[in-house]
Amino acid sequence: MRHSLDLYWRLIGVQIRSQLQYRLAFFLDVVGTSLSTILTFATLAFVFQRFGNIAGWTLGEVAFLYGMVEAAFGVMDMLFSGFDPQNFGKQVRLGRMDQLLLRPVDITLQIFGSEFIMRRLGRILQGLLVLGIAIGMVEIHWTATKLIFMPVILVSLVCFFGGLFIIGATITFWTYESIEVVNIFTYGGSEMMSYPMNIYQNWLRQFFTYIIPAIFLVYYPALFLLGKPDPFKMPIFAPFLAPFVGLGVLLVAWLFWNYGLRHYQSTGT
Amino acid sequence: MRLFFELSMRSFQRQLVYRTAALAGLATNFFFGIIRIAVLVALYGTRQEVAGIPLQGAITFTGLSQATIGILSLFSWYDLMTNVYTGAISSDLLKPMSLFHYWLSHDFGRAVGQLLLRGLPMMAAYAVFFGITTPQSLWQWIAFVISLTLAWLVSFAWRFLVNLAALWIPNALGFIRFVFILSWFMSGFLMPLRYFPDWFIRVCNFTPFPYTINTVVEIYLGVLQGPEIVQAILGQIIWGVCLILVGQVVLRLGIRHLVILGG
Amino acid sequence: MEEIIRVENLQKHFRVAKHYRGFVGAFRNLFSADYRLVKAVDGVTFQIKRGELVGYLGPNGAGKSTTIKILAGLLVPTAGNLSVYNFLPWKDRKIYVSHIGAVFGQRTTLWWDLPVIESLDLLRFVYRIPKDRFEMNIKEFRELLDLDPFLDTPVRSLSLGQRMRADLCAALLHDPILLFLDEPTIGLDVVAKENIRQFIHHINFQRGTTIILTTHDMSDVEKLCERVMIIDHGKLLFDGALKTIRTRFGGKRRLLVDFSEMYPDVNVEGAEVTERDGQRAIFEFERGSVTASELIGRLSQKYRIQDLEVREPDIEATIRRIYEEKLLEQ
Repeated sequence: MRHSLDLYWRLIGVQIRSQLQYRLAFFLDVVGTSLSTILTFATLAFVFQRFGNIAGWTLGEVAFLYGMVEAAFGVMDMLFSGFDPQNFGKQVRLGRMDQLLLRPVDITLQIFGSEFIMRRLGRILQGLLVLGIAIGMVEIHWTATKLIFMPVILVSLVCFFGGLFIIGATITFWTYESIEVVNIFTYGGSEMMSYPMNIYQNWLRQFFTYIIPAIFLVYYPALFLLGKPDPFKMPIFAPFLAPFVGLGVLLVAWLFWNYGLRHYQSTGT
Repeated sequence: MRLFFELSMRSFQRQLVYRTAALAGLATNFFFGIIRIAVLVALYGTRQEVAGIPLQGAITFTGLSQATIGILSLFSWYDLMTNVYTGAISSDLLKPMSLFHYWLSHDFGRAVGQLLLRGLPMMAAYAVFFGITTPQSLWQWIAFVISLTLAWLVSFAWRFLVNLAALWIPNALGFIRFVFILSWFMSGFLMPLRYFPDWFIRVCNFTPFPYTINTVVEIYLGVLQGPEIVQAILGQIIWGVCLILVGQVVLRLGIRHLVILGG
Repeated sequence: MEEIIRVENLQKHFRVAKHYRGFVGAFRNLFSADYRLVKAVDGVTFQIKRGELVGYLGPNGAGKSTTIKILAGLLVPTAGNLSVYNFLPWKDRKIYVSHIGAVFGQRTTLWWDLPVIESLDLLRFVYRIPKDRFEMNIKEFRELLDLDPFLDTPVRSLSLGQRMRADLCAALLHDPILLFLDEPTIGLDVVAKENIRQFIHHINFQRGTTIILTTHDMSDVEKLCERVMIIDHGKLLFDGALKTIRTRFGGKRRLLVDFSEMYPDVNVEGAEVTERDGQRAIFEFERGSVTASELIGRLSQKYRIQDLEVREPDIEATIRRIYEEKLLEQ
């Protein structure tokens, strides 16, 4: 196990070095990627200038959601890129899995270490920047709990999205054609969580409360941190369900992944 | 001209092969549409109209923008760049045909395919689930169709031009992506440009981007009237022609550069 | 020499969903549970001793790659007994795999974006190769495979021949006892093929590495393998010496003769004229019914010969005949 972990760090290191080689291209990449986050925030700002607020949430409050989700998604993207379903499915069909199985190293760690894309750093940094701006714009009555809770939310989000990536990747062991649908949950989910969930119609909100409990990942923690009232009258501990949802999804993904690996080994593709 | 038709057909047919993937893509787009609509509805609140666009118009806008993603290749288009980097361009240059014409026809076929596979089904779904507004008069419909075709032309022209960077830069991907990101914001794809401050709209008008999706949307929704429509279409034509001309020049220079360097 | 591979009644069955075509078919696919059973490997039995260089042949879809994947630990067999170097490949994967090497002609085992030398260095770490052993191997392979010109080139920029050599080096760095070679000379020019073959022979001869070679290139087989296994439709049809194939199924040998004059009629006892072109004639004769030297003797008594050549039956044609005419099916 330790051997596999050491190899993981090596693989990451090697990729970082090779990407940093093309300094100019890397710099442009980071700028380009971060531009997207910043410009989205600018769009939000413009739109709020004209509309005032959205369902009682101010620009700062929405930016808080958005910054948190962006930063977390960026971290997830950097760590879990090896499991990006569309890329992973393609690699499986190219026979890359066999290549990995032939090495005396843990398969899962090899996949984690296979794609480490430095430019995602741009998204993380910009997400954190927007988050910082947001915190400056709103009034949070900070307590020790709230401070500790911030990174917890981030980690929960990373686990949640990472778990979705892994589930998507596992599905490609069976089918590749419609794997784009997973994007609804990953990219669609992150877009959805960037806005206060009370703007969504009942059916949609309930789906993301009881079936895929995404509402507890950012919305409820935000209600808690920003001191806003809960329009849905959930139990008082609702905000603190975030880590459980995140870890829960990751655990389900882990189990499914192992099942998929076993299946692959007994049937090839 | 015949060649144009043939190549477009081929490209169009290739699109039809990916039927099931198109369905998955439609579902994904539709989900994003749901979110965007919810955001717009919440933004409007009790207001009936903002910047000349009624709520139903804003909802129709989401449908239109989702429907034209494929047609206008709004997210990304690296085909020509890939062509250069894989070296396939060398065999293309051996063919007795203008590279520009080849890509033009190819993209046209692709666009038509996307119209049928994603564009129309998306608008139909929107009409069923959310209700959409439609152009009021025949003249508006005609203007819309003309504008959509020109939008495709302008879009292709700038995508083509930007991809040509690959002929000089060994890693043009970052640069091209950068321009695409700019285009999302300046083309009125995320939000109708009308919502934005005037100074920003003025800045955007220095680029071809608004003349793709934004112009089409504004004509369709009836935000533009009479002479304004003509003005907008004229703008599209001017941008289209200019970009194509510049593209031709840059292409020629780029090919010379490529040939001298040995690919 | 001890046996290191023992395969007994190996079975690998796949359940392939019946695929319906067309639009309506797409719906049927969703709801139907119709399967058909494909027996990719259907009762294969063989043993391989340490140090053998075995050719594993068969038409496409015969079950070759499935067998290899099972032996390499990539696939779990449906039934049968299997033991490689006292391991059960798929079960003890992580330990087992450090004793084998594999080269696939179609794809590389190296990291695409890294320079060759960095890939090799990573592999040193992956296989936990002691530093001095690694240095020794690298030195030897650099020379034998002429790797120096492209050690610093990223793998994606290598030509096919260079990539093959790099892959061979990579596969042998950790001194595997068993090497799987899948189409190692595919797409290479004649000179490159020959070099690769020489290298393979050297590895087998000098290091005693057991090698299983799957290939469609008959020259590979002729030049490297003494023993050949032929598989088709999941069954092992032949397992024996290459020579035997030639003698048992070889068909006729040929004698090409360039005569000094234009003879209207060139007959000889024991052989048949199959082609005539000016002063050239091609004779066919059965191995065993007459020897080449007897035939040459008879011919030279009657005619004046400028030049001649004995041609053995083409092994590829022979094997193709074996598949097509099902010569091996009992």
